[in-house]
Amino acid sequence: MKRPPDGVRDDPCRPRHFRPQASAPVPPEGPAQDAIELSHTRLLITGALFLLAFLVIDARLVEVAGFKAGDVRLAHNHVAAKTVVARANIVDRNGVLLATTLEAPSLFANPKLVDDKHGTARRLAAILPELTESEIYARLDTDKSFVWLDRRLTPRQESAVNALGVPGLQFQGEGKRVYPEGALTSHVVGYVGIDDNGLAGIERSFDQTLKHSDQLVQLSIDVRLQYILRSEIAHQVNEFKAAGAAGLIMDVRNGEVLALTSLPDFDPANPGAATAAELFNRATLGTYEMGSVLKIFNTAMVLDDGVATLASTFDATKPLQIDRFVIHDYEPKKRWLSVPEIFEYSSNIGSAREAAEAGADRQRAFLTRLDLLHPPAFELPEGTPLYPNPWRPINVMTIAFGHGISISPLQLAAGASAIADGGIYYPPTIIKRPNGAAPDGRRVVAATTSAEMRQLMRLVVESGTGKLAGGSGYLIGGKTGTAEKDAGGRYETHKLLSSFVGVFPINDPKYLVLVMLDEPHGDRNTSGFATGGMVAAPAVKRIVMRMAPIVGIPPADENSPEIRRSLMVGLPSPQGRKLAAN
Amino acid sequence: MIRLSTILWTLAVVIAGYAMFQVKFHVAKLDDELSKLNRQIAATREETRVLDAEWTLLDDPQRLDQLNSVSLKLQPIAPSQIVPPAQLDQIPLRNAPVAGPPQVASARTPR
Repeated sequence: MKRPPDGVRDDPCRPRHFRPQASAPVPPEGPAQDAIELSHTRLLITGALFLLAFLVIDARLVEVAGFKAGDVRLAHNHVAAKTVVARANIVDRNGVLLATTLEAPSLFANPKLVDDKHGTARRLAAILPELTESEIYARLDTDKSFVWLDRRLTPRQESAVNALGVPGLQFQGEGKRVYPEGALTSHVVGYVGIDDNGLAGIERSFDQTLKHSDQLVQLSIDVRLQYILRSEIAHQVNEFKAAGAAGLIMDVRNGEVLALTSLPDFDPANPGAATAAELFNRATLGTYEMGSVLKIFNTAMVLDDGVATLASTFDATKPLQIDRFVIHDYEPKKRWLSVPEIFEYSSNIGSAREAAEAGADRQRAFLTRLDLLHPPAFELPEGTPLYPNPWRPINVMTIAFGHGISISPLQLAAGASAIADGGIYYPPTIIKRPNGAAPDGRRVVAATTSAEMRQLMRLVVESGTGKLAGGSGYLIGGKTGTAEKDAGGRYETHKLLSSFVGVFPINDPKYLVLVMLDEPHGDRNTSGFATGGMVAAPAVKRIVMRMAPIVGIPPADENSPEIRRSLMVGLPSPQGRKLAAN
Repeated sequence: MIRLSTILWTLAVVIAGYAMFQVKFHVAKLDDELSKLNRQIAATREETRVLDAEWTLLDDPQRLDQLNSVSLKLQPIAPSQIVPPAQLDQIPLRNAPVAGPPQVASARTPR
């Protein structure tokens, strides 16, 4: 805009007919000139800034369109933002679904839009069995514009609600946790609460992983073996009217748990209906005085520490009296017994004498080495082992045959696996180890001790207390256990905890099968006996016979000379006979 | 000359504007397609999950066991049924071909 020269003031009030005369522009001078120069400079700077900004934009345009045309990152955000993140799946070692999340609609209402509240409540109550008419009406009869009516409807309920055609009723998609295998893996997988928080089992210990990543959790469990284990144990529980049972199958070469069951169990879709006994995982959370199965550790200890050899003998002629306690044998032989015989006939007196020879320090160190005195790092909640403090001589003797120390069946299995499998202990896990990854094991006994223990475990099945686990066509070795349950300070003869730890094939161990029955009652078939050899050993035999074809273990001729020789305890007994059963 | 350059520039702006909107609409269309595909992917994934769950239910060992006890009555393989590779040639071969169609096929009504 042209600035009027000084002195000529274009007064808006001047008369219309009067025009100021044109005059030659007067070059501004003084403050006016300064002002003009200032504004020129400002204009230049502003222009330069704009130019710069446009150049930057141009450069970026050329860069994006010309040099980064193939860059997919730009499009990527778009795609990722739209994938629905649901709680991740849990699968078994072969990829069979154990837990998954399915979309299920939840019903909510805007009560302001619902006209006929009584009628709607009545018709909804017919569709939603978990709610009564008055409950629904109470929720609808409000000033709020949002109320939940029911969560996670079935597809049938959803279409029925839609068919009502009531305005103001709407659905919101929500994830619903589904357990296709039901009770079969309930103690392993666990369950979630209404808001999809893991409350038990793997659902709980891997809650964050399952919630926040798309990565599925692959367990070491094999559903087929799990079914075999559970059905055979359930059969024993029914037959012997046991209060409960636990069992597990473990890969002795890497500590993977292939099957883990605890009876009674529950429906993970409806954990609220389960009793405390059903929710309790006996296989990992329960700790028990397991009885004679601990002679596996006692015998391995005396052999490994050089306290005794297979030829050593111990006095089992009469019950052993220590202070006010008397240690009896279940089937007294009333003579001196060799180490193999003590194991074969499960002599408490002999075992106690072996342990006394070794002493408290050795025993305690040995059990610590096998992770028996503290809960191992495992993916499911672990029971804390109970052991005496102070560790007195009488404790040393009772622990030798599995009384006075409480451990979980899982600990027993992990320890026994180590003894049977060349003496290497692998920490137990229920997560599948990546293919070919060698787990960190640690040596707990010498390989020679392990070989001797395998011979002894075979001896138990061939001619000792575990005979009912024999004759399967597969080479099983193991140890029976029958503990009297502690009832407030004294042991009850009729409340037993009967178990059998089986390892097969015992000449080249691959799998360990543990069956434990809580308070079984003997029947006519077992002549009233409910010992581990009577009630648990036959179950292990049947489990092995069913699982061997699945895991690809060929049957072996138990009477072939090579096998007999490899498993023979080749030392003369005091009576001069060969200890290998013949 | 000023006229000509004005006309040229106007023409350039019109063409650039037209091209830009063409690209914009094309991108919008692709965007629609993308979100449609994304919805499809999500739906298919959900369907896969449902089918997976259903397959697991149908393949449940307990159910298979029940079905087996009703219709097939198969037994676990006994050790005597397994022979070592060295004795494979001792398994007698079935010489006579099975006469007629298998029973299961004939039991079905032809459609």
